[in-house]
Amino acid sequence: MNYFNLVKQKLVISFCLCIILSIGQAFTTGASAQAVQNITVSGKVVDGNNEPIMGVNVSVLGERRGVITDAMGLFTLQTGRDKTISFSCLGYKSRELPANQLTGGPVVLQEDASLLDELVVIGYGTKRKRDLTGSIASVSSKDIESTPIKDVLTAMQGRVAGVQIISSSGAPGSSMQIRVRGASSLNSGNSPLYVVDGIPIETTSSSLLNVDDEHGLSALSYLNPGDIESIEVLKDAASSSIYGSRAANGVVLITTKRGKEGRAKISLNSTFGVSNITRKLSVLNSRQWREFIIEGYKNYDQHMGLAKETAIHWTVVDSLNPVNSGDGDWQSLMYNTAYEKQIGLNISGGSKNMLYSVSTSYLDQEGIIRNSKYKRFTTRANTEFIATEHIKVGTNIAYTYSTNDRISAGGMGNRSMVVALLTRPPTYALNYPDGSYLGYLNGKRNPIALAEECLHLNTSHRVNANEYLEIKFTDWLKFKSSLSVDFEAMKEDEFFPTTVDYRVGYNTGAVRVAEYFTWANENYFTYNQSFGQHHVGGLLGFSQQEWKTDVTGLNGLSFVSDDIRTLNGAGTISGQEVNVAYGHSMASFFARGTYDYKGKYLFEANIRADGSSRFGKNNRFGYFPSASAAWRFSDEKWFRNLKFINDAKIRVSIGQTGNEAIDNYTAQGTFITGRNYLTNAGVAPNQMPNADLTWETTTQYNLGLDLSFFYGRLDFVFDAYIKNTSDLLYEVPMPNTTGFSSVINNVGEIQNKGLEFSITSRNFVNDFKWSTSFNISFNKNKVLSLPKEVLVNGYIQNGSFHILKEGEPVSTFFGYKYKGIYAYDTDNTNQLRHLTSTGKIFKGGDVIWEDIDKNGYIDQNDRTIIGNAQPLFVGGLSNDFSYKNFSLNVFMQFCYGNDIYNNVDYYRNSIFSYNNVSTEFYYNAWRNQGDVTNHPKVVRNDPMQNEARVQSRWVEDGSYLKIKTATLSYEVPKKIVDKINLQSLRLYITGSNLLTFTNYSGYDPDVNTLASGLRQGVDYGSYPQSRTFLFGLNIGF
Amino acid sequence: MTMKKINYKIIILGVTLLSLFSCVDSLLDKKPISSFSAESFYRTQDQAKAGVFGIYNGLQSVMHTNFSTWGEGRADNVKIKHAGEPTFLHNNTLTADISSADWTSLYTLVSRANYAIANIPKVFPEGDPTGNQLIGQARALRALAYFYLVRVWGDVPLILEPYTQTGQDLFVSRDNSELVLNQIEEDLKFAAANCVDKFNNTNDRIMFNKGSANGLLTQVYMWRKKYSDAIATADLVLANPLYTLVPNIAAWGKMFSDSYSTESIFEVGYNDTQTNGLRVLYAIGSDARYSPSTRFMATFEPGDLRQSYIYDVTQAEPKAVWKYLGKGVSDQISTPSKQNIILIRLADIMMLKAEALNKAGGSANISNALKLLEPIRMRAGLTPALLTESQAIAMYGSVENAILHERSVELSFEGHRWFDLVRTGKAISTMQPINGLSDTRNLVWPIHISTINKNPNIVQNEFYR
Repeated sequence: MNYFNLVKQKLVISFCLCIILSIGQAFTTGASAQAVQNITVSGKVVDGNNEPIMGVNVSVLGERRGVITDAMGLFTLQTGRDKTISFSCLGYKSRELPANQLTGGPVVLQEDASLLDELVVIGYGTKRKRDLTGSIASVSSKDIESTPIKDVLTAMQGRVAGVQIISSSGAPGSSMQIRVRGASSLNSGNSPLYVVDGIPIETTSSSLLNVDDEHGLSALSYLNPGDIESIEVLKDAASSSIYGSRAANGVVLITTKRGKEGRAKISLNSTFGVSNITRKLSVLNSRQWREFIIEGYKNYDQHMGLAKETAIHWTVVDSLNPVNSGDGDWQSLMYNTAYEKQIGLNISGGSKNMLYSVSTSYLDQEGIIRNSKYKRFTTRANTEFIATEHIKVGTNIAYTYSTNDRISAGGMGNRSMVVALLTRPPTYALNYPDGSYLGYLNGKRNPIALAEECLHLNTSHRVNANEYLEIKFTDWLKFKSSLSVDFEAMKEDEFFPTTVDYRVGYNTGAVRVAEYFTWANENYFTYNQSFGQHHVGGLLGFSQQEWKTDVTGLNGLSFVSDDIRTLNGAGTISGQEVNVAYGHSMASFFARGTYDYKGKYLFEANIRADGSSRFGKNNRFGYFPSASAAWRFSDEKWFRNLKFINDAKIRVSIGQTGNEAIDNYTAQGTFITGRNYLTNAGVAPNQMPNADLTWETTTQYNLGLDLSFFYGRLDFVFDAYIKNTSDLLYEVPMPNTTGFSSVINNVGEIQNKGLEFSITSRNFVNDFKWSTSFNISFNKNKVLSLPKEVLVNGYIQNGSFHILKEGEPVSTFFGYKYKGIYAYDTDNTNQLRHLTSTGKIFKGGDVIWEDIDKNGYIDQNDRTIIGNAQPLFVGGLSNDFSYKNFSLNVFMQFCYGNDIYNNVDYYRNSIFSYNNVSTEFYYNAWRNQGDVTNHPKVVRNDPMQNEARVQSRWVEDGSYLKIKTATLSYEVPKKIVDKINLQSLRLYITGSNLLTFTNYSGYDPDVNTLASGLRQGVDYGSYPQSRTFLFGLNIGF
Repeated sequence: MTMKKINYKIIILGVTLLSLFSCVDSLLDKKPISSFSAESFYRTQDQAKAGVFGIYNGLQSVMHTNFSTWGEGRADNVKIKHAGEPTFLHNNTLTADISSADWTSLYTLVSRANYAIANIPKVFPEGDPTGNQLIGQARALRALAYFYLVRVWGDVPLILEPYTQTGQDLFVSRDNSELVLNQIEEDLKFAAANCVDKFNNTNDRIMFNKGSANGLLTQVYMWRKKYSDAIATADLVLANPLYTLVPNIAAWGKMFSDSYSTESIFEVGYNDTQTNGLRVLYAIGSDARYSPSTRFMATFEPGDLRQSYIYDVTQAEPKAVWKYLGKGVSDQISTPSKQNIILIRLADIMMLKAEALNKAGGSANISNALKLLEPIRMRAGLTPALLTESQAIAMYGSVENAILHERSVELSFEGHRWFDLVRTGKAISTMQPINGLSDTRNLVWPIHISTINKNPNIVQNEFYR
């Protein structure tokens, strides 16, 4: 009762004040003619808790005069009756009151805790930041707008504690790898769940033709970053368990902009940019290359003890043949200056009954590798109608059309470009004398021809529509129901002409058409009521979602000519197995209860029951509970004396989430079609059923502390967590006598634990403003247990470079330990041998390997752990400066303690066919007894495998500090803007990827070529990152 | 809004939502669209047929190149010019990580057959001939897989039930090869009794009918040295009107390049899109795995018409084997090959019977044995076509050797030679001068390391430990 009255009173007071204020203003404007009458004004300035505030600046508006309140909050001052008095104090919202109202009564200043009062989007609702009990990080539209970006994930990179985002490729429109609090799954499902405007969206890479480059397209690229209002990352289980079985890797909530009541706001944003490669790697010129290859031949003959010299290939010695007489710089030929332009228009506004925000944008971006290009057109309309006092209806519709001219950059596939162009002999001609591209020569495709002549075009149409109805039964009970569809129609065309193949007249093509359809229905009641100082809330809901995918496509071979690239021109058609359809569905129930007393003691509990069609009949439903509590101890009486801390809260949470990322029908077992015998359609068992298959379950504990110092000048958020994932979904190899190679089963356990800090500080707040935000997160990842039956020698070999081993983190590199180069033959005092006990003895110029098992020869069993791709910490630092109309934002990103397996270096430092190498190798190769160097003797196709072994020599420190972006902007003064009838005008220039401090020798340490989450940290020649300068313009009409 | 009104609306909403819940089960029951779930397959007779074709599909993978790798790779008729696997086999330096030591594809076939054998009876009435002939085919195919398994590795796990759930015994041990061979015989007897007499189309050459089941059974009996049984089943094959020797040497050449000849008893079917490794094995530039060995080329009797169909006689060191891909085939293109791979044909069965008769002994039997060779030798243009016992001994040392020589030439590169050498106990004497083979325990292959890694109950063959 008391509480109600208080609220009522406050409302009445503030209402009256408003009216008085406006009347006062009317008076002031009309009072100029009246005689000035001096009065004495006095009063007591207090805060919301009726505590006096000392040091409030009380001044007369428009005059220089003013006083400061004393320790009791009291003030007295002489002024004209018609004047307005202003009250301002750091940490409180400023107020202005007419002088004649101030007759000794209290003047209440509200605390300016705007940061804490900001609404944060949570699962199925919003919450004031101050009331959070879990761990949620936000990126607001302000952060996003400060630097022009092209996709959502870039907006998050380095800005959110606990979230690591690694660029997989520098190609336009390509995907990034995102990890919230470390990798927690052995399966590929390590990506968070994305929820856009309350609707979980499909984000599996949709490209179906990723033959040589493992990375697909960014699934979030359909979103125009200009449409985004905020991004929230739900990190701990208490925040994310409301999304149950899909939340183990965290949840990213994306909210798009809606209209606000008022006149239409029209804004136009336009940028133009130029990109270049950040650096080139040193390679040999023609003369050096010929010399070096010949040296490699000679050393080979010598090593093998051949009496007769091996004939040197003509491409090495024949410098007169026109296809082999050049001195090309392949990197310069391949990497272009790339241009990009982006334009966006947004119109938003609303009336009492309707709110709208309509936008459209166009992006045209070239990649720095020739012929790679990304274009995107987006439109979005978010509208909301207030139908009656109780009913709101709304729709969000977004359509995106994009085309992506892709090229195959990473990996060692025979059409991959980056390694190919770094190792291409400089002598090879680009063209024949007649101007056509030089084709396949001596085992090497022409990378320029590959880029220019091959087609790999991805075209996509995506519609994302969502309709909702909100019923407000009473002030405390609401119901919301939404229905959404997400539909993508994608087509991919691929063609490799005869000019790039080694087989005469051999050309291939392929086409894929895919339709991805998802519908979702969410229904929930929300309840919020206060009983005095007790605030109670609840949520109860049901949701269902269904996914369907339909893929059609064929492959063609031996086309009639390179000019016809559609499959009707193909001599042979194959690929019927491409044409498939599949689906998946979920049904879920969820509930939440919240309670707090005075905002001081806060409690929350969530539960979700998820049913998924993917899991075995016996384990179809999973239950994901969580509980959290927070204590705002700054509200305790004993704390009030600490004036410099304004808000302090401690949070604890525990909860469970799941991961359901497996194939759709695995649990049911599969009989696969297409196992035909000539023209007889055949079927064969392909997957063994596993009726007990169920979710990976992640149990997470979180402890958090939020502190706000100096009236909001310094905010500090700290979180510590332990995240244990058990029942890992893993393809457990089966004895081949079963007829199956593996079965997906729930096995093993992974742990992530870590610390996260983020600090926001407003260093200067006057004319010159400077604010800083900093975040850093430490994560330690460890495999706790693996199924014994799959371990060989105690570990699982995971691709060429990694192993999985109990006690070690995922993405652990495994190989031979390099200890240097024998300077003299006699330095091999242990007479170590190659491969077997009768193998050749390592000599001067060979690598000194660590003989782990001390058996006298170097074989497989001498491999050991040589590095790890997990960083010790990652983070970001953003500084905003502004003075008058100028502002500058400098954003730095860092990553420390991770290793990169630089496989490009292996190719650049060995001669396995007639490849080009690094200049370091050329200058520093061991040549004579006694040479002390880090590069072995050059031996063509080295039989001693000095280079070919997976080894620690190619493991490099991947730490870096990057000036990721710097933006300087100028807001054109109001006076000028008014003259040209605009609302606002801002000009800016941004540099991105400006400078990188690193010891890494490859193109860029922000690299990750292999798509698998378990094989992180390998540089296999990814599409390089570029440095970009953008010029932009924001106009408000 | 009054409380009553609200309650009313909530109830309506509640009911609507409840109706949504009721369809949760149907929403969550998602059956595969483009494949079958374990539950939904083997429900109809058509599916049963599709399941059996799936086994043949497995056979296509098994035989893709291995018919030759297992049957010729370690024997004396081939010359190798290829590093890696062919070298290891030819030099008898087999290790546990060579790919031909991997039996995975065979057990995949066995698994498909086990599924068919266990499930087909559920969709046919008991004793239904269509159902039984399908089971017969599945059992014959399983027998074929096990026959390779025991010949290549010796003792192998005998698995006769499909794996349908994770609780089953996955980590099996090896069973005595005699046990496996007994099962092979049983399966083939069932097939010979229940398969169709004939399909009346080309399927008679590429699918199991009574004749091909008996043909395979003959090979099995010969492996087990059950000569009288072999003679009995061979006689059934010889009497089968489906099979006649192709009449002349031109037709003999076409038997391999064109497939589906009247002499063919069982061949693995391939076509333009379901291709095999014959080209990689026998004719691809200077890169083919195998070419005829000098020793082999020297064993031809003068005037043997088959010689020029098997390789390019104008070359001192022919690069290719022409048999299968066709006389004079260009080896400069890398297109995959589509010729069927013949596993059993009439000439083979005739010569097996000849061997069995010779083993039975007695002059009548021996002369009958040599009579069986006559049409084969005659077609090859050899004189005399009909050898007498003394001629055979004079030329080859013994009648058995004469028959084996005839097999070596007639069936060259068809994947019989190594097994003939092992079966007749001549592997060591033949191969020792070539690669030093000397230990009978070395006659089997090692078990692939990945097999042992995945199942510690599988013990490596003694020689390779």
